[in-house]
Amino acid sequence: MIELKNITKRYESLTAVDDVSFSVKAGECFALLGPNGAGKTTIVKMLLDFTRPTSGSLSLCGIPGTLAECRQSVGYLAENNHIPPSLTGWQYLLRCAELLDMNRSEATVQCRHIVELIGMQGRENTKIGTYSKGMVQRFGLGAALMGNPKLLILDEPTSGLDPIGIREIRQLLESLKDQGMTIFLNSHLLSEVEKICDSAAIINRGKLLVKDTISAIVKDGETLEDVFVRVVKG
Amino acid sequence: METSKSLPPITRITKFTLIDELQQRSFVIMFVICALCVFLIRGCFQGNYMVNGQALDAATIVRTLSKATFHVIGAGVMVITALLSMRIFRRDRTEGMQACILSKPIARWQYVMGKIIGLWLLSTLFMFTLHSIVFLITSINLKVFMPEYLIASLLCSINLLFVVVAVLLLSLLMPDIVAFLCVLGVGIVGFVGDGIAAAGHSQIAQAIVQQSSGHTQLDVTWWKVMYALWPKLLGVQQLASSLFESESNHGFGPIYPLINVLVYCFILGALLFKRFRNEDIV
Repeated sequence: MIELKNITKRYESLTAVDDVSFSVKAGECFALLGPNGAGKTTIVKMLLDFTRPTSGSLSLCGIPGTLAECRQSVGYLAENNHIPPSLTGWQYLLRCAELLDMNRSEATVQCRHIVELIGMQGRENTKIGTYSKGMVQRFGLGAALMGNPKLLILDEPTSGLDPIGIREIRQLLESLKDQGMTIFLNSHLLSEVEKICDSAAIINRGKLLVKDTISAIVKDGETLEDVFVRVVKG
Repeated sequence: METSKSLPPITRITKFTLIDELQQRSFVIMFVICALCVFLIRGCFQGNYMVNGQALDAATIVRTLSKATFHVIGAGVMVITALLSMRIFRRDRTEGMQACILSKPIARWQYVMGKIIGLWLLSTLFMFTLHSIVFLITSINLKVFMPEYLIASLLCSINLLFVVVAVLLLSLLMPDIVAFLCVLGVGIVGFVGDGIAAAGHSQIAQAIVQQSSGHTQLDVTWWKVMYALWPKLLGVQQLASSLFESESNHGFGPIYPLINVLVYCFILGALLFKRFRNEDIV
């Protein structure tokens, strides 16, 4: 579903991502872990062609990442997600549906389903400018789920959510995973990652340090947090 | 109302751009003020004008005043278009719409094209509405119908395309306000250059040039090249206004300004697409 081959990204003298290669299989829930500034968001941006790699190649759903068609079945939630404050949540979701070539009736059905899924019934017709950060995040996740994508790329999906919201998002991701959706998760919440994900990769200073299944990474008596600290601190 | 499945992505981006701009309070206020200003000039069309003791006929008054209004509206809407265009990418970026659109199966060139067409349509509609007010005033108050006035307005929209493309390109390379000022500068220099060129055609100016030295002659030739290559925004307006007046253009031929501005649109458009293709989306 996702394949990165020898990806390097340099910003003048800084190497943000250094010769990273890994793949994510269809139906897998994968977490990309690393400290701040490790290069996680850069990798996400390269996956979506928001920034071009200096060298190497990548593909989504078997299509080269430079082609817009590869994003036909991809849902994306950005870190610090922003939504135009002049729109209502409903209008925003409708707009996302239109971008996926849905007609008005299809879009309306989809939007109703998504509003229910993200638990925002009754609030969808108020302006986004009046929403809390958590509510904006929920609508961002809703937009990512538009059109039942095969691949979901989530950059810090629980950012700004309270503990109840985090639990709800985790339950939602678990149900999506059960439905066979491939999930690429970029998160700092290691306890959540440990509960949801099948496999993970740890990067630091742009270099891939570990890539394996969660069960192989986390040994007996350890938590993912222990492994993360050990690997990152070297 | 059903949205067609085959609606191309460019049309959707164009639609979003139009809706977003129309929802901006500043745009609505600007439009109302401009429409009121144009509406207030209706008194100028009703006066009795005397030249050398002779009363001017309605048609002469209408054509002279309409021409002046045509140029003022044309130049004014260019400034407003530059103001509208300068923040378009930044606003989309900060409000998350750029990432939202480009994370969908939409190519960057389609996004940029949608933005250009949206802004161009909006500014053309803006200018056409203001010109239509003048057209209605002359038609109702003075019973002088000039359908060419509206055609001229549409022709003048080529200038707006130039402004949109130039400001969008420059806004990727420099701060928005500097991009706006640069394009404003290009317009002002062009207008002043055309004014100087018009004055240069006078007998006095030609006599002065003939009396000056060979060195000055070289300078004049250099400036002539610069002048010929400079974006001919006023030239397009004059060409458009010639549709509703009997004057004919002189110099490089009647359609040279149009070709000049279209070539600029094409070159700047190509640079804009190239620049945006390499732009990092945040």
